[in-house]
Amino acid sequence: MKRAKTEELKTFFESLSDKYDLRVPVKLHDGTRVLGSLSEGEFAIEGGKIPQKPTSVFFPQFDEMFVVTDGDVAMAKPPAKPIMVVGMTAEDLDCLEFIDKFFAENFRDNIYYNKRDGSVVVGVSGRCGKDGEFMKIAGGKCDIELISDGECFIVHPYTDKGEGLVEKLQADECGCGGVHMEALRKESDALPKEDEETVDKASELIRQGKVTDEFWDEIATRCIACTSCNLACPTCTCFEVYDRERDGKMVRQRIWDSCQLDGFMREASGHNPSGKQLQRTRRRIHHKLAADVERWGHRTCMLCGRCDEVCPTEIGIKSVCREIVKRFS
Amino acid sequence: MTNSISCVEQTGCILLIGSNTTEQHPLIGTRIINAVKKGMKLIVADNRKIRLAEIADMHIRLENGTNVAFLNGLMHVIIKEGLADDEYVKTRTENYDELKAIVEEYTPERTAEICKITPEEVVNAARMYSAPEAAMIVYCMGITQHSHGVDNVKSCANLAMLTGNVGKAGTGVNPLRGQNNVQGACDMGALPNVYTGYQKVVDEASRAVFEKAWGVENLPGNVGLTVTTAINAACDGQLKALFVLGENPMMSDPDQHHVKTGLENLDFLVVQDIFPTPTTALADVVLPAACYAEKDGTFTSTERRVQRVRKACDPPGKARQDWEIVGDIAKRMGYDGLTYNSPEEIMDEITRVTPIYGGMQYDRIDQVGLQWPCPDREHPGTPFLHKGTFKRGLGLFGPASYMPPMELPDEEYPFLLATGRCYFHFHTGTMTRRTRLLDREERFPYVEINLDDAKRLGIYDRFPVMVSTRRGEVKALARVSDVVVPGHLFMTFHFEEAAANALTNNALDPVAKIPEYKVCAAQVRRAS
Amino acid sequence: MNVMTKTKAEEGASHIYEPIPCEIVSKRDLTPLEKLFRIEMPDGRELGQRPGQFVQVSILGYGEAPISISSSPTKRGYFELGVRNAGTLTGELHKLNVGDKIGIRGPFGTYFDVEKLAGKDLVLIAGGCGLAPMRSLIQYCQDRPSEFGKLTILYGAKTPEDRLYKEDLIEWNESSVFACSYAVDGVPAGGCFNEGQVGLITVLIPPLELDVKNTVAVIVGPPIMYRFVIAELKKKGLAEDQIVVSLERYMKCGVGKCGHCAIEHLYCCLDGPVFWLNQVSSLKGAI
Repeated sequence: MKRAKTEELKTFFESLSDKYDLRVPVKLHDGTRVLGSLSEGEFAIEGGKIPQKPTSVFFPQFDEMFVVTDGDVAMAKPPAKPIMVVGMTAEDLDCLEFIDKFFAENFRDNIYYNKRDGSVVVGVSGRCGKDGEFMKIAGGKCDIELISDGECFIVHPYTDKGEGLVEKLQADECGCGGVHMEALRKESDALPKEDEETVDKASELIRQGKVTDEFWDEIATRCIACTSCNLACPTCTCFEVYDRERDGKMVRQRIWDSCQLDGFMREASGHNPSGKQLQRTRRRIHHKLAADVERWGHRTCMLCGRCDEVCPTEIGIKSVCREIVKRFS
Repeated sequence: MTNSISCVEQTGCILLIGSNTTEQHPLIGTRIINAVKKGMKLIVADNRKIRLAEIADMHIRLENGTNVAFLNGLMHVIIKEGLADDEYVKTRTENYDELKAIVEEYTPERTAEICKITPEEVVNAARMYSAPEAAMIVYCMGITQHSHGVDNVKSCANLAMLTGNVGKAGTGVNPLRGQNNVQGACDMGALPNVYTGYQKVVDEASRAVFEKAWGVENLPGNVGLTVTTAINAACDGQLKALFVLGENPMMSDPDQHHVKTGLENLDFLVVQDIFPTPTTALADVVLPAACYAEKDGTFTSTERRVQRVRKACDPPGKARQDWEIVGDIAKRMGYDGLTYNSPEEIMDEITRVTPIYGGMQYDRIDQVGLQWPCPDREHPGTPFLHKGTFKRGLGLFGPASYMPPMELPDEEYPFLLATGRCYFHFHTGTMTRRTRLLDREERFPYVEINLDDAKRLGIYDRFPVMVSTRRGEVKALARVSDVVVPGHLFMTFHFEEAAANALTNNALDPVAKIPEYKVCAAQVRRAS
Repeated sequence: MNVMTKTKAEEGASHIYEPIPCEIVSKRDLTPLEKLFRIEMPDGRELGQRPGQFVQVSILGYGEAPISISSSPTKRGYFELGVRNAGTLTGELHKLNVGDKIGIRGPFGTYFDVEKLAGKDLVLIAGGCGLAPMRSLIQYCQDRPSEFGKLTILYGAKTPEDRLYKEDLIEWNESSVFACSYAVDGVPAGGCFNEGQVGLITVLIPPLELDVKNTVAVIVGPPIMYRFVIAELKKKGLAEDQIVVSLERYMKCGVGKCGHCAIEHLYCCLDGPVFWLNQVSSLKGAI
């Protein structure tokens, strides 16, 4: 396997920008890390997960469904260049795996798969987290994984497409015969599992019906309906659809929605099955930890922690799970 | 704010009066929620059952327009029970005797009667506020938008000084500014009586500074018109031309009919804005401007922090930067001095002529902003004002007596109508009503009415009603709940199709000229 | 902007969000608030719906909304939509005329499973607007009565004027296929109601004589109605697996993606709108 320095990776990605719509981690002027092109900021592969949900490259906040010009409907088409997204963590890749399944099931969502089909996904892990923290190794679920050993990245392709791309990477082979990789894997396996255990326990308690409405009400009084949790969550897929006029054309587009809004389920008659903050707060957590377990066979919170980081009143999913476990087990 | 937002985490008690913080300043609201969770005491003095009332230690539903009586009542108890900070009063303030004499009349019983609350509430609130080492007063438009708004503010200041709660962390008199840069606009002299940094136009020395800086002579020394009095002057025919930048007085000023008469009576109306509004509809010239995401510069936050804002995208079509538009107009009027190359160049000028902004160079506020006063490059900024001494030396108690609002409910108009905003719309809705999800949340104009009143009048939730006052009538959907007390109505002014300001009273505070948006007499009935 | 002429989608590449332009061939008033639209697919195609399903109706520039199909698949060559003027889209739809085109996606959702209902006595209970989807099943039963046992229709509305499909109500009542009972909550001053009882729809249930073992009840109506009707039916001895409900939710996509219509782990658009009561009775917020 190849072992590349950060600079070599940057050159590698730069060389692919003709063929791909590149979304790599870059640092903006104010220090924020985002997914963007290399011209938007300094290449910043290290530093942990990207604060924004990375699944937004395939399911962006705004997306055109079709454009109507003089009565002609033109459905959204795949992008001219396929997307290459770099910097997904192991948790992000779990999220992507789920939303791939979600958008494929029953009716295949063309708008999503326009972007997802033909795309390249590059994961990142190892000793390159925030403040040098070790990030869990995904071991798959992407085309290429970049695993940091603290100095360089071991470049691990998992798919044929990934292998084809890595061939073009100008970097030395890692001469250790896999010993190196084995050590990193052990380190990854030894990472603490507290969050996972807490969330699983909370999920079990919710499913057993042990979490009371009084509890949800208490959490709900702390919610200010800013909707950040939904906007940051890589497995949140709800959207609103609306028509608007732009440059003389009618565009039907979808936009991320939030189950934390009163209007989310409100019907034209005024009837609203989630008209109370309590119901909305419960739904946010119940859906990921109980309803989806019923529907998909697993919880759909992948422990990325983004909702906990953005929530101004400390009622992100992990915080609430900790309270649930403390109170009800 | 005399203090910083972070003071919420350093205080023992917040007296929140006339602010629906979680809806109008949600990030400060969340800090209050978190602080309450950690044991801070919260007194909500607000007629409406706002979100923070649910977690407050005390929710006092005083009658709108009785703030002076309420605050005097608290001071009465504080003095009587020996809860004042005598040392602070002695060394840091003056005119205490007059204050004492005036609040003497405001016994808990009398206060309770005026405010329609209980004497116990007055006593308990006074004790709760004065107990901790540091206590804050946080207020908003519920204090200022009255015909006696200045008296309200002064009374807040009196209470804070009486308890030694000015000039240290976790204390202060803290108005939450209603717009992202209203503080900056005031700081920059977008007021009729001051230049930048509150340098008075009547003061010859300040005029000299600007005459020199701008290379002009004889800058006028007279105070101009406030927004509300300008409309009156337009109605009278004394004002001939008006240049409105980023405002929508047709929706935001009191008594819409009066505003329309005034604007139509002008010879020339120019409006600069980012979207068409009912005000641009009356303009002779509309100048398209860049919006917040399309410009570089600074915004000054409610805690006096000057912060950089950076352009995220180019303005559409012919829209331009505000400073470019104003500079070009000046040029065509024969003055080149307002021509700049960049916002940074403007900031450099600001730092030269504005002592409180003296150290606010772009390189110093690149990542994190600074709080004024910040007089020079070495100054770290000022997290709270009046440390050690007040700007004027001693803190002056300016006691006030309770005056009723200008128009109270009567037989014909038996309800008290207050106006304000909701969580999902900003001001006149120019931006938020064009935003899909925000518009979905609140799509229709509504009026809050108490359950008992609704029942009596045969009004049902979400049913259309007519709300009328001596100025006008609008149709809105009833929102029946216990958020407002019986006898009260609450409407927001976001909706063009049911402009709350077609109803409001153009009664102004004699000093600040702020209109009485929080109290007028109204009636409500089922729409046929 | 509101009239679609043609679509440019490539042949064969089906797009789940692509509305098919369909023509309004007739339009008539049902009540002052509701109108019935008869729609034809392009090129004489059939919509291919089953009773109880819905379509997503688009008017370009105004958006899209789910509307129940009011006609039975046994009616060939067209389908009908009974629409209340309740929001932006439905308001615009009411303004359209014969010859105008609207966008249609669908049919979507689960349906009244006539195969499972075959041979059963059916009690079809509709309240207010709930008669719109129920009519697709009633028409089916009317056209193929031999597939079922005894057929009963119960319908309740606020006032006589508010009743939908008034001509159909008379026809069903007069037909030998159905036993019909109608109710209205109240009669405005000066009005009269001779075709049934004055009272809530629940008053129609106690007098029914049911072969409890062989009966299935189907309920469609406003949210408030279900709980009370279900309670009455249970008193009659019907079990939850003998009760079918059709639920309504805010929907944007109709295909299980937009998330608005979720009832716990079920999507009203995919797993519903038609449910057996025992599928949903334990789910919070379902009924």
